[in-house]
Amino acid sequence: MILTAGTVVRIFLIVILTVVIQVSGMQGITLLGGTIDLIPLVVGAVALWGGSIAGATVGFSCGLLLDLTVGQDVGASSLVLTAVGYFVGRYGEVNEPANALLPVPVGAATTAAYLIGTTVVSLMLSFDASLSILAFRDMFLTVLLNTIVALPVFALIRRIIRPVLTRDPLDRRRKRAAPIESGPIGLRGLGI
Amino acid sequence: MYDKKVVRRRRAVLGVLVALSLGLLTVYFGENGGGFLHSVQSGTSSAFSPLENGVSVVFKPVSNLTHWTGDVFHANKENKQLKKQVQQLRAQLAQSQTAQRDAAQLRSLAGLPRASNFAAGGKLITARVISRSPTVWYSNVIINVGSGDGVHIDDPVIAAGGLAGKITSVGGGQAEVTLITDQSSNVSAEVMPDGSNGIVRPEVGNPNDMLLDYIQEGAKIAKGDSVVTSGFTSSKLDSLFPRDIPIGKVTKVEPSELEQYQRVHIQPYADLRRMDYVQVLTGNAEQQRAQVIK
Repeated sequence: MILTAGTVVRIFLIVILTVVIQVSGMQGITLLGGTIDLIPLVVGAVALWGGSIAGATVGFSCGLLLDLTVGQDVGASSLVLTAVGYFVGRYGEVNEPANALLPVPVGAATTAAYLIGTTVVSLMLSFDASLSILAFRDMFLTVLLNTIVALPVFALIRRIIRPVLTRDPLDRRRKRAAPIESGPIGLRGLGI
Repeated sequence: MYDKKVVRRRRAVLGVLVALSLGLLTVYFGENGGGFLHSVQSGTSSAFSPLENGVSVVFKPVSNLTHWTGDVFHANKENKQLKKQVQQLRAQLAQSQTAQRDAAQLRSLAGLPRASNFAAGGKLITARVISRSPTVWYSNVIINVGSGDGVHIDDPVIAAGGLAGKITSVGGGQAEVTLITDQSSNVSAEVMPDGSNGIVRPEVGNPNDMLLDYIQEGAKIAKGDSVVTSGFTSSKLDSLFPRDIPIGKVTKVEPSELEQYQRVHIQPYADLRRMDYVQVLTGNAEQQRAQVIK
């Protein structure tokens, strides 16, 4: 990702809008008994397209803002989302994925990692209550719903940050080699 | 085939952000409610409340649509339950009216002051929920009234006639409510009509099922009994609420063979997952605090 003022503005807006829309909008919308959690999806999308540094930074910022706005333990969500953003970013850097359907498994894995991470951190911090099995049903529903909406969310984030990306993995797939004009007529296009 | 500089920078960023998160957590847990991070949290919440207010209004029609769809599926079952409940309530009302008349006569004979309901002496302020915590591990909501409207810390919050939580942080135009389903919540309660006292605690992940602990083995508690706030605390851990705020009704009683307490499951009256509007009972917390200090 190219670091310019435009990049900072884009990331800043993505972080603020994602957190505000999640806590004030999406959290009140119940589908199939669960809710969509945009935060891990957006962190995953920025990390996949922008790399590990961008992923970790956006994860930390989203987590911190989330903890500050809704009165959660400050630092808990940012810790989990930093790790999630970094590792999704590393996956993108190492594999340079060009498959257009990749957001589906990445969205599911990112959400699952975020929910498991939040569970572990919450249990380690100050948990002193009974735990219902329904908590895990809710997590499963969130992963399912996030998997369904992963494609449009990843596409939207890619569209927003595309101008500041150093490389776009999906472009590699779309660019075809120029047809060969020289050589024997029967062998043209075979690359011989 | 990799640049060592890039690798070092990448790891440094990860290390700094993780260390920063751990540092924030340590400071947050180490300071008291009026500490630096708590103040920053309150300030951020106040700064974002106009934006959150706007976004919640924009998303309200979608939220209503999803709720309406869900209600259509549950309407038939709920209708049968409500008809049954109306029959039970009619019988209870007749008994209650008789008891009320008897109590009034006995009170006048003994010269006792008239008993009041939980809202007496306080003022109910209606508020809209503008943001909610997205994980099951934290049960906090932000409402669009604050100290400017007369809201104070520890004021009880009521939704659909039942206790929903209490104010834990307050700003000029918004306040944070910690719901009774939060893992830190402990509410002193009593079961009516038996009068047994216990502590209502949440079962995290299931807002429709709460536990009433520390009810003595011999107490006669039946399914359908009402649970209300007891109005006193037995320890520093319990929350101080005015007496007689309805919490929920008993759904299951589990007698324990090994322990001296029985486990009582209750269903809260307030629909804590779908509440859009709440009422803050102001005044009572101040009065009770003053009484405790005296």
